[in-house]
Amino acid sequence: MQVIENLKVKEKLYTEKLENGLTVMIIPKKDVQKKYVIWGTKYGSNDSEFIVPGETEATKVPNGIAHFLEHKMFEQENGTDSLFALTSMGVSANAYTTNDQTAYLFEGIENFYEALTELMHTVQHPYFTDENVEKEKGIIAQEIKMYEDTPEWRVYLNAIKAMYKYHPVRIDTAGTVESISKITKETLYKCYNTFYNPSNMILVICGDFEPEELLEEVKKRLIETPANGEIKRIYPQEPEEINQEKIEEQMQVSTPLYTIGIKVGKLQEEVKAGLAIEILLDLLVGPSSQMYQKLYSEGTVFGEFNYSYETSRDYSHIIIGGTSKDPQKVYQEFKKRVAELKEKGINKEDFERLRKKLYGNLIKEFEDVSHIARMFLSDAINDINSFDYLEEIESVNLEYATQILNQIFNEEKMVISIIKN
Amino acid sequence: MQENKTEIKKGITLHTINTQKFKTNLMSIYLTTKLEEQTVTKNALAALLLRRGTATIPSQEEISKKLEEMYGCEFDNGIDKMGNNQIYKFYIETVNDEFLPQSEDKMWKKALEMILEIAISPYSENGGFKEEYFEKEKNTLKQIIEMRKDNKARYSLDRCIEEMFKGEPYGIFKYGKIEEIENIQNKELYEFYQNLIQNCKIDIYMSGNLPEEKEIIELLNQNKDFKKLQEREPIYSEVEIENREDSQEKLVEEKMEVSQGKLIIGLNVKAQNQKEKIATVVYNAILGGSANSKIFRNVREKAHLAYTAASNYIRLKNAIFIRTGIEIENYEKALKIIKEQLKDMEEGNFTEEDFNEAKQVITEGLKATYDEQDTQITYYFSQELAKENMEIKEYMKKINEVTKEEVINIAKKISIDTIYFLKRGE
Repeated sequence: MQVIENLKVKEKLYTEKLENGLTVMIIPKKDVQKKYVIWGTKYGSNDSEFIVPGETEATKVPNGIAHFLEHKMFEQENGTDSLFALTSMGVSANAYTTNDQTAYLFEGIENFYEALTELMHTVQHPYFTDENVEKEKGIIAQEIKMYEDTPEWRVYLNAIKAMYKYHPVRIDTAGTVESISKITKETLYKCYNTFYNPSNMILVICGDFEPEELLEEVKKRLIETPANGEIKRIYPQEPEEINQEKIEEQMQVSTPLYTIGIKVGKLQEEVKAGLAIEILLDLLVGPSSQMYQKLYSEGTVFGEFNYSYETSRDYSHIIIGGTSKDPQKVYQEFKKRVAELKEKGINKEDFERLRKKLYGNLIKEFEDVSHIARMFLSDAINDINSFDYLEEIESVNLEYATQILNQIFNEEKMVISIIKN
Repeated sequence: MQENKTEIKKGITLHTINTQKFKTNLMSIYLTTKLEEQTVTKNALAALLLRRGTATIPSQEEISKKLEEMYGCEFDNGIDKMGNNQIYKFYIETVNDEFLPQSEDKMWKKALEMILEIAISPYSENGGFKEEYFEKEKNTLKQIIEMRKDNKARYSLDRCIEEMFKGEPYGIFKYGKIEEIENIQNKELYEFYQNLIQNCKIDIYMSGNLPEEKEIIELLNQNKDFKKLQEREPIYSEVEIENREDSQEKLVEEKMEVSQGKLIIGLNVKAQNQKEKIATVVYNAILGGSANSKIFRNVREKAHLAYTAASNYIRLKNAIFIRTGIEIENYEKALKIIKEQLKDMEEGNFTEEDFNEAKQVITEGLKATYDEQDTQITYYFSQELAKENMEIKEYMKKINEVTKEEVINIAKKISIDTIYFLKRGE
């Protein structure tokens, strides 16, 4: 296996691409009891139109199908549910679907190899019938409704809709009650066979292991599947411009919620740019920022802002959210602060302090086995090695941050979504 | 990796968990005081004011800058309720020196000094909190209380608890009441807090790569803020076995603009001693503690009525809460299935497998606390409040000793107290 070591955080990554195309990544953690396995495929809610390897015609599938497929994978042909089987072994198993990935995982202490057998069997053996597809629609409809009642989710999704005109990221991961009603077992199998091929998948394990031995155990549990060719994913041509600057929706909330978005697009030097953006966000809207202090003390906001930089294969954006009696004021203040920072330049002392904060935060990412495994998977889906952030941080200097500030924080790329009574 | 416990001054205990396993050191301070109608709002407001500034770091902005300078040291504080107590919680987490580029002064020492100063020596002017902060935080507290309806799942659970424990301390909302806020005076609140810090129960937890306990105690005794704390006979609610009277099943309905109904059921548990409480932990795991539980299987997987379907046992209050999110018209159906599960438990209609798996779910969860600093501290603190002081290993052993008969026995002592249903409407 290839070994990559990071001396700053004192951790190692063992990785290998197997013959069938599967990438296996192992991060050993000495003296830790918990073991975490996550098997992900580069397939999420964004992938609703694609060309199956070997075919020429594009296939279009209903929105929410990746998530639906995830729900159905646990059901086995012999009538058992592997989620129960895994729970019976004393591990805690789960799965999730995002815009660009679907992942199956478990965390546990005892019965590791038994559980690994079950999880790997599950992911390699789909079993869909008309009947079991039908009954799942009820459960998922409840999940969709739960999200519909969650203002935090709605305000976020509306900000995405404001930024993107055509890209499927603007559609709810779970789809709609209407779209999932069109899902059939045939389309599920088609999606499965296309995207659950080992060459489209990454398996990450973190815990107290001897990596080479573990790799052999993984290989033993793989059924023979030849690597398939490239999947052509069809995304609509998304313009650089935003869709609309503002979306407002009514819901029963005590205080309005808002999300400010900045449409970024795909960046060069992704890791380095991402780090610079994080420092800039801390500087502009972090707990020590002038903007936060001012808005808090005058009563416009009541708690710190949530902010993050989200990136995927073909797009990226910045999200800033919170609650406020006057979201418009927050938005105007943000624009003002950005303009001011561009004009006056970044203060050296502030920059160094926030870079220290970011360094400490990057170290903390390597504490918990579940967090580590999920991070390596999500980064690997986007062809990033998670150690790279620690390697790159020193190269992020004031000049570079200034360049990113001017390149990305542009008013015409900003949107706001508001939910209020 | 075990807890080491020393009472440094009467009523003030240091708990250390020494381990090389983590990249961070975590410290918490808990101030425990009685949960009462007259003081609940004051405590909630004081907790908000503490984070605004300290004697030597007079503003939140400067506190934040200091934390950032310490490689993104994380600090948080808040208020909680545990049993009949209201708890002020303070957390601070630092990266271990060995992972930092240049090792300056020991990071954990700086962090300890900071968290002590925040808890003990708030910024003051003219014998009160800074007037500007005081006015601002009154508003923040109002907001927090108003916002509680936004999270429907949390709100429904809280409301069920309030209805079930009406007129008792545990039925009080931890942030207090909006009407009370305007009655609070700045100086009076400042004095109230000064008094509280000298009389409450104080527990300090430290987990990570730490020096000998002796050295920490010495450091504490020399600390300018810690020195201010006097010996005390701590005033708080000590845990007792509660004997709630047999209650009639009561139904509470509330209407809001929701697309999904929330059905919460509060169960009264008559566990009389530690042994029975531990049997109740196993009972709850079979009933609704995992994806294999009866409620999850029957409400979600078999009847497809819900996405959320689970239960929790609040040990300090001897109560179980079942939580589900359902279609509003499925209320009767869901309630019927849940009642069947309760009946099944009483009749021992669960398999040997269900029973063993439930135990395993619990013990696996306990083992995992060794890997998580915060969970471990939370475990030890709840043990402290329950006056049980069981090491994790001992607790696991006791779980494994529970028999099927004990679970059935406890099932017979469990009854529905409150059914709370949040549904659609004006």
